[in-house]
Amino acid sequence: MLKILLPSILLLPSMWLTPKKYLWTTALFYSLVIASTSLLWLALPAEIGWSFLNYFMASDPISTPLLVLTCWLLPLMILASQNHLMLEPINRQRTFISLLISLQIFLILAFSATELIMFYVMFEATLIPTLIIITRWGNQMERLNAGTYFLFYTLAGSLPLLIALLLLQNSAGTLSFFTLPYLPPTHLTLWAHKIWWVACLLAFLVKMPLYGAHLWLPKAHVEAPIAGSMVLAAVLLKLGGYGMMRILVILDPLTKELNYPFIILALWGVIMTGSICLRQTDLKALIAYSSVSHMGLVAAAILIQTPWALTGALILMIAHGLTSSALFCLANTNYERSHSRTMILARGLQTLLPLAAIWWFTATLANLALPPLPNLMGELMIITSLFNWSMWTLIMTGLGTLITAGYSLYMFLTTQRGPLPNHLISLDPSHSREHLLLTLHLLPLLLLVLKPELLWGWNA
Amino acid sequence: MAPFVYSTLIISLGLGTTTTFASTHWYLAWMGIEINTLAIIPLMTQNHNPRAIEATTKYFFAQATASATLLFAAVSNAFLTGEWDILQINHPLTSTLTTLALAMKIGLAPLHSWMPEVMQGLNLLTGLILSTWQKLAPFCLIYQIQPDNPNVFITLGLLSVIVGGWGGFNQVQLRKILAYSSIAHLGWMILILPFSPPLTLLALFTYLMMTFSLFSSFMLVRTTHINSLSTSWAKIPTLTACVPLILLSLGGLPPLTGFLPKWLILQELTKQDLAPIATLAALSSLFSLYFYLRLSYTMTLTMPPNNPAGTLPWRLNPQHNTLPLALTATTTIFLLPITPTILALFTS
Repeated sequence: MLKILLPSILLLPSMWLTPKKYLWTTALFYSLVIASTSLLWLALPAEIGWSFLNYFMASDPISTPLLVLTCWLLPLMILASQNHLMLEPINRQRTFISLLISLQIFLILAFSATELIMFYVMFEATLIPTLIIITRWGNQMERLNAGTYFLFYTLAGSLPLLIALLLLQNSAGTLSFFTLPYLPPTHLTLWAHKIWWVACLLAFLVKMPLYGAHLWLPKAHVEAPIAGSMVLAAVLLKLGGYGMMRILVILDPLTKELNYPFIILALWGVIMTGSICLRQTDLKALIAYSSVSHMGLVAAAILIQTPWALTGALILMIAHGLTSSALFCLANTNYERSHSRTMILARGLQTLLPLAAIWWFTATLANLALPPLPNLMGELMIITSLFNWSMWTLIMTGLGTLITAGYSLYMFLTTQRGPLPNHLISLDPSHSREHLLLTLHLLPLLLLVLKPELLWGWNA
Repeated sequence: MAPFVYSTLIISLGLGTTTTFASTHWYLAWMGIEINTLAIIPLMTQNHNPRAIEATTKYFFAQATASATLLFAAVSNAFLTGEWDILQINHPLTSTLTTLALAMKIGLAPLHSWMPEVMQGLNLLTGLILSTWQKLAPFCLIYQIQPDNPNVFITLGLLSVIVGGWGGFNQVQLRKILAYSSIAHLGWMILILPFSPPLTLLALFTYLMMTFSLFSSFMLVRTTHINSLSTSWAKIPTLTACVPLILLSLGGLPPLTGFLPKWLILQELTKQDLAPIATLAALSSLFSLYFYLRLSYTMTLTMPPNNPAGTLPWRLNPQHNTLPLALTATTTIFLLPITPTILALFTS
């Protein structure tokens, strides 16, 4: 554990001491070394229990894929931000990279936390660097509103969570993940206990986001710079899913009845946000709503608490992390060339940028869950387990799949096929950096087809 | 101000507070508080402008009322129970009256109306003394009251958190914002007093560190209005990077120090089966966070419209002493990981 955490912490002084000429090279190289070392975590000695332990950090089959994704994402964020930060003064570049690194540190500590309060503190700690990245380096005036919505939606959910955790600590005596599953069953009969159940989950549902509490997400994703969008879509949403998986272990007898409204909201959200995507003109907003849609499936799956559902949720979280981040990177390549997020202003790009069209194609197919990619494996397991829970969910999940295919194809056909707009005079050709960035996103996704056991969580 | 006069006033301030700290008899404690009030009045009127005089007058009236009520409560206690000892306020009437008098002294809601207007009329240094030093003597007395029912404290506390948050919403003057922030933090301190007095002291200590660093930051860039905050990036860029962290620490966000008192207070309240009150206090603190966030937006996260020629002021050799700011800002930002140490310091 510490062999990843300490180098990540020490990346911070490295960024301030590196000479200007080597800043981005150093940042990229060291973060890639850390990312490659983090792949060691995938060789879990214990298939179900905790591995790589110390007193405060441990990894477990459901936290390991998320930890590896977090470490993998840092070099990708650095690659993606290099272009738009090149014109800024050197200290601001250093500050930006330091924010990304501090986000990575908090995320590693959050996913490997062995105690709920540490998870909570790190969950909240990720808000500050993300807020600063969105509001300082975002490009439009609406970013201030986006930062406010982001901070306050998350905090309004997580302060009741803090109190719920403190109440749990009073009754259980401990909040350690090692002992929580083995607590004696509690008699949770009063209304107060139902409110406690909701308080435990609300923060994670807002973070995921659940359809009714999702308003912060389109704002935050759209206004953030590319690194902010990547980390939000790929990892921060998964913090919500991970938190839900951890805490539902202790919420048991109440979950069977109380999860109904949330499952319905989540599934309805899949369809609604999918339909919104079909009418979007803003490319980043389309990808943001697509994230809400996929995470709605994940939320519903985690709430029904069956083995296949949890496995499907974990697989979909990782696969969606990589796919969504890749789509944001592609949207950013469009934005850097046309300085606009409107889709029709940069359409028909297959003629101009054929190699980028390969990436668009692959990312779109991943988004609509084409076999044999892990996106399909996740979605199929979730849909199957939801069908087993209640056969009527098939209407919503089936319709959701159809709509997902619809808007993904809409996005691909608008940006790549069709006539080029008449006003485009010259566009930069695709940089090698952009090709590398997308390879590093989509190659792991393709490799995961060969060994999906890495993502199966507790069912491995 | 002439050095001899200035030093006399500062020493009197110190004398008043330490007299109150050292006293066990109500008369001596009251005398200490009065010396404090009298010593700060000339400090408030240093700038001979009408706004400062108005602030001083309002302060004097509020403090005089509170002191008279305090003396009345002490005498009533002596009349009803025969005890002059500070620790022996046993009669419910006098204990409530003492609490309310001291609440008016420090500016807790609903006795807070003088606070923003007084702060607005002072310069930043005197405002700092008012927010930090002047709270110590009344807190020493409140700490020693042993309440039998916590309702007065909970009401004062919860109301102060809400008023401190809601009142600061519409403010653009920094001193008024700091006054409302002070009211909100004092609310948290009073809320936990009947259950765990050491946590009150811990909250007071962290509040003093955070307020000191924020006031010092504003003094360094010489701003008293939100608009002039926005050009501070040109004066001291590093400070502009630190102040959002200080502000978010005041707002109580983890992993900054400001989270520490809130966390421990919420823990104690839930242990006492007061979870709904804890939830209400926690959600009310989101109000204050909103205007702290607005301040950090204006100062650091946005670039105001300005002319490029004005962005490079003459950077003469600065006369500031930045050591207090460095120490208190470090405490404000980095203290959360050593929570057990700090807790041991206060609860041993």
